[in-house]
Amino acid sequence: MDATEAAAVLARARQGDSDAFRALVERHSRSVFRLAFRMTGNEQDAEDVVQESFLRAYRQLGRFESRANFGTWLYRIVANCSVDLMRAKQARHDQARGDSLDEAMELPAADAPGPERMAQSAEIQRRVQAALQALSPLERAAFTLRHYEGRSIDEISSALGLGTSAAKHSVFRAVKKLRAALAPLRSQES
Amino acid sequence: MTHYSEDDLTLYYYGEGRARAAIERHLDACGECRSLYREIAGTLAMIAAPEAPERGDQYGLEVWQRIRHKLPEQDAPWWTTLFRVDRLTLAAAAAMLVVAAFVAGRVWPRVPAAPGVARTTAGSAGSTAAADVRQRILLTSVADHLDRSERVLTDIMNAPDRGDISTEKQWADDLLTTGRLYRQDAIDAGEQSVAAVLDDLERSLLEIVHSPSEVRAADLEQIRRRIDAAALLFKVRVMSDELRQREAAPGAAQPRSSTRKTG
Repeated sequence: MDATEAAAVLARARQGDSDAFRALVERHSRSVFRLAFRMTGNEQDAEDVVQESFLRAYRQLGRFESRANFGTWLYRIVANCSVDLMRAKQARHDQARGDSLDEAMELPAADAPGPERMAQSAEIQRRVQAALQALSPLERAAFTLRHYEGRSIDEISSALGLGTSAAKHSVFRAVKKLRAALAPLRSQES
Repeated sequence: MTHYSEDDLTLYYYGEGRARAAIERHLDACGECRSLYREIAGTLAMIAAPEAPERGDQYGLEVWQRIRHKLPEQDAPWWTTLFRVDRLTLAAAAAMLVVAAFVAGRVWPRVPAAPGVARTTAGSAGSTAAADVRQRILLTSVADHLDRSERVLTDIMNAPDRGDISTEKQWADDLLTTGRLYRQDAIDAGEQSVAAVLDDLERSLLEIVHSPSEVRAADLEQIRRRIDAAALLFKVRVMSDELRQREAAPGAAQPRSSTRKTG
């Protein structure tokens, strides 16, 4: 689909043409899933975010400014849907979240392989995942966008609808918590 | 020597922040900051992007199949909000005109009818025609009011479970005022079924108006349940269609002895 064709499809979708919207869904689904998976760290949650993001996008298409980039606009919706889903889960599992933070920080470091192998091991990934799950939804979203997606603080601020300072501090808090949670691994490495 | 904070060094790691050259020089000179930076960089380097499970070429189609039957109504384009206030003002003005027309019709001194069959017949015909015009104005205004109300109700039914509904509240508030006037007009004009739908509608609009702007999922669910329980959207659509048909049908503006049952 070239740029002119994409613009025409988008224009038709904005007028409520569901076939045109279907073309957009088919085109963007895989990248939306990839981002949703990184944001949520969970396949089922990522599928829920994909579905909710497209429904939200369809509803809000009238607000989309045609000069903007649809992919970037959709990206913001996915980021926000992910935050909403993580917040809803957090509300349901607040206690579990506290436990997982403790778990992430207290996992025994014994019997671990050497530093080089550790970097590749499932154990380190498990600890990283536990530490990520222990972040607040906003911290996790900001960290994911910064660390995995390579987005600048300004882009994160725009995607999540935060002020620059709030976006920056969400990343800082995430990094601090991750450092604390992963410190045992670092001390083994050194 | 002034040291750099963990936050400064985090931004530096990600290639952001000001004074990057100064930080670089400082890290060469300061063992303490260098050690902190190594620790931050080492920790962040451990955190590799998780590999997302692969999705095949048909994935987009699968997603479409999952959502195609759930597509909500699209929001109106952002620029329509610029005209929203004007539309509401017009609706309120139209409602006031209808009321004024009814009041004027009642208090205006009537010319005593002169004797004679022909004149009586003509006067009666003129009076019927005037009543028909008034009735048509009422039907048009109420049908427009119902259409606008339907959009607010649809917005509420499709709103995200948490969020700001201040626009819908404002809109509902304006509709509430005009709706009350129309309901009274409908009662005066003998349009009992119209008045009944407007009465149901008024209760739901009131509930929306009295909800907090940042509505909780539970509050929203309660409003939706009441709208569903009263089959309000259905009633509003049916009544609006019926009024439009009556507007279009010659001589059909007068109240019907039995209007279509709306629930």
